Amino acid sequence: MTEMVRVTIDLTRCEGHGICALVAPGVMDLDRYGYAVPFEGALRRVDRVQATRAAAACPRGAIDVTVDDPITSRA
Amino acid sequence: MSISLADVNASMVPSTSVVSVGMPGAVLLGGPRHRLDLSEHHRQRGDERFIEPQELLEEIRASGLLGRGGGAFPLATKIDTALECAGPRVLIINLAESEPLSAKDATLVSLRPHLVLDGARAIASILGVPRVSFLVHGGSAPGLRSLELALDERRGEDKDPEWKVVLGDPRYVAGESSAVASKVAGGPSLPLATRVPLAVRGPSGSPTVVTNAETAAHVAMILRLGSSAWRAHGPSSDAGSRLLTLVGSVRRSGEVVELLGAVTIGELLKAHGVSEIPAAVLIGGFGGRWIDGETAWNAEASVAGLGEIGATFGCGLVGVIPRGGCVVGEVARLARYLADESAGQCGPCALGLPAIADDLERVASGRGRPRHVRRLLDLAGEIEGRGACGHPDAAIAMVRSGLRAAGDDLGVHLAGTTCGGMLGALHIDEDPNR
Repeated sequence: MTEMVRVTIDLTRCEGHGICALVAPGVMDLDRYGYAVPFEGALRRVDRVQATRAAAACPRGAIDVTVDDPITSRA
Repeated sequence: MSISLADVNASMVPSTSVVSVGMPGAVLLGGPRHRLDLSEHHRQRGDERFIEPQELLEEIRASGLLGRGGGAFPLATKIDTALECAGPRVLIINLAESEPLSAKDATLVSLRPHLVLDGARAIASILGVPRVSFLVHGGSAPGLRSLELALDERRGEDKDPEWKVVLGDPRYVAGESSAVASKVAGGPSLPLATRVPLAVRGPSGSPTVVTNAETAAHVAMILRLGSSAWRAHGPSSDAGSRLLTLVGSVRRSGEVVELLGAVTIGELLKAHGVSEIPAAVLIGGFGGRWIDGETAWNAEASVAGLGEIGATFGCGLVGVIPRGGCVVGEVARLARYLADESAGQCGPCALGLPAIADDLERVASGRGRPRHVRRLLDLAGEIEGRGACGHPDAAIAMVRSGLRAAGDDLGVHLAGTTCGGMLGALHIDEDPNR
């Protein structure tokens, strides 16, 4: 069973510090103004680790990484 | 000319017309042209049937009533969601009508306040809430006096819930449902970032139903007429009558009409002083869609008919730009308005919408080139879907549809000149809230 990992940005918090894109370049991108843009779609295992690091590094707590485990949580 | 409940029942045969305030056949606005106080309201509309809340919910479900604030969400589904979640629940009637130029909710509550209150009371009974809050667009909101007077008139009505009036900020995004819920819960008049539906968990932590004033008035009429008779007042594919505000190049800009049965947009406009196919029509509000005049003219003014041309009723605003009007210029003006009205909570919206408006103004003034259009569309694609609320997406959809609807007018502007067309058909500057 594959986990679905979703990265969401609360743009009311994001201030464009850009730390997430440094910590997790494979997962986080920045738009032309410097605000975070998350990778869309399912993440590989290694990227999930990165995403979690990015979330922890965000000074505004704007990044949310959620794991939908199809076994434990049925949508 | 007046209309009684008997007349409303007699006109159960679906009529096909657009009626103005006070005309026979109108479901919400029929009867005298003046405000109905409580006793006259009872005389005109007859007594409400008092039916069990569960039965009433089923009537609303059978009616197919869709919210009239802009989202067109089925009211019964919203109520179901709130009922499935543990209480206590919150009910808010949204009277903000923060959409500039829209006047239908203010007109409704100014003339028929007790219909709104009857409907609010009925929804409150289904939700089992002891209190109903009204969110209005600031202290000088049109309709506020009539609402307060009506609450005064109902003092002592034993079946009424407790009523509360909350003043929202007089700005565009303050009327968005999560901003409304936030204000009523004691927070700022700003949209919330949460993705959890309000009916599941609002800002107070409780399941929160926010519904539009016209929607509540329809509930009052469903209660009186029964769902099938109420439904019959709409086009076959639709449910019930509908209030619209006509603005721009029409006989009386700002006139509120009630739409009954199936008419085309062309018939609607012809009945209100538009004699030739316009250049473009804005449907659904400033965050709605521009449709080229020809396409709009022939479309049926129903949920399905508008769906076929990529539009929705939204807040019920229909804006007409006449032949000879500058569509590109109007799109740029709306884009600037919406950019100025960004709550500034999300960077991409706060920075992106003004940049899009800049490029549109460049194009509108004849200083733009195709690359400016490409640039603004690229930027639009980057911003889309990234706001905490729907404001940037609505603004972008308006801009895209506007450039499409402008057709040849856009080409003229990109050739280094202006079309020389008239600007200002929509009277944005006359918005009393600005």
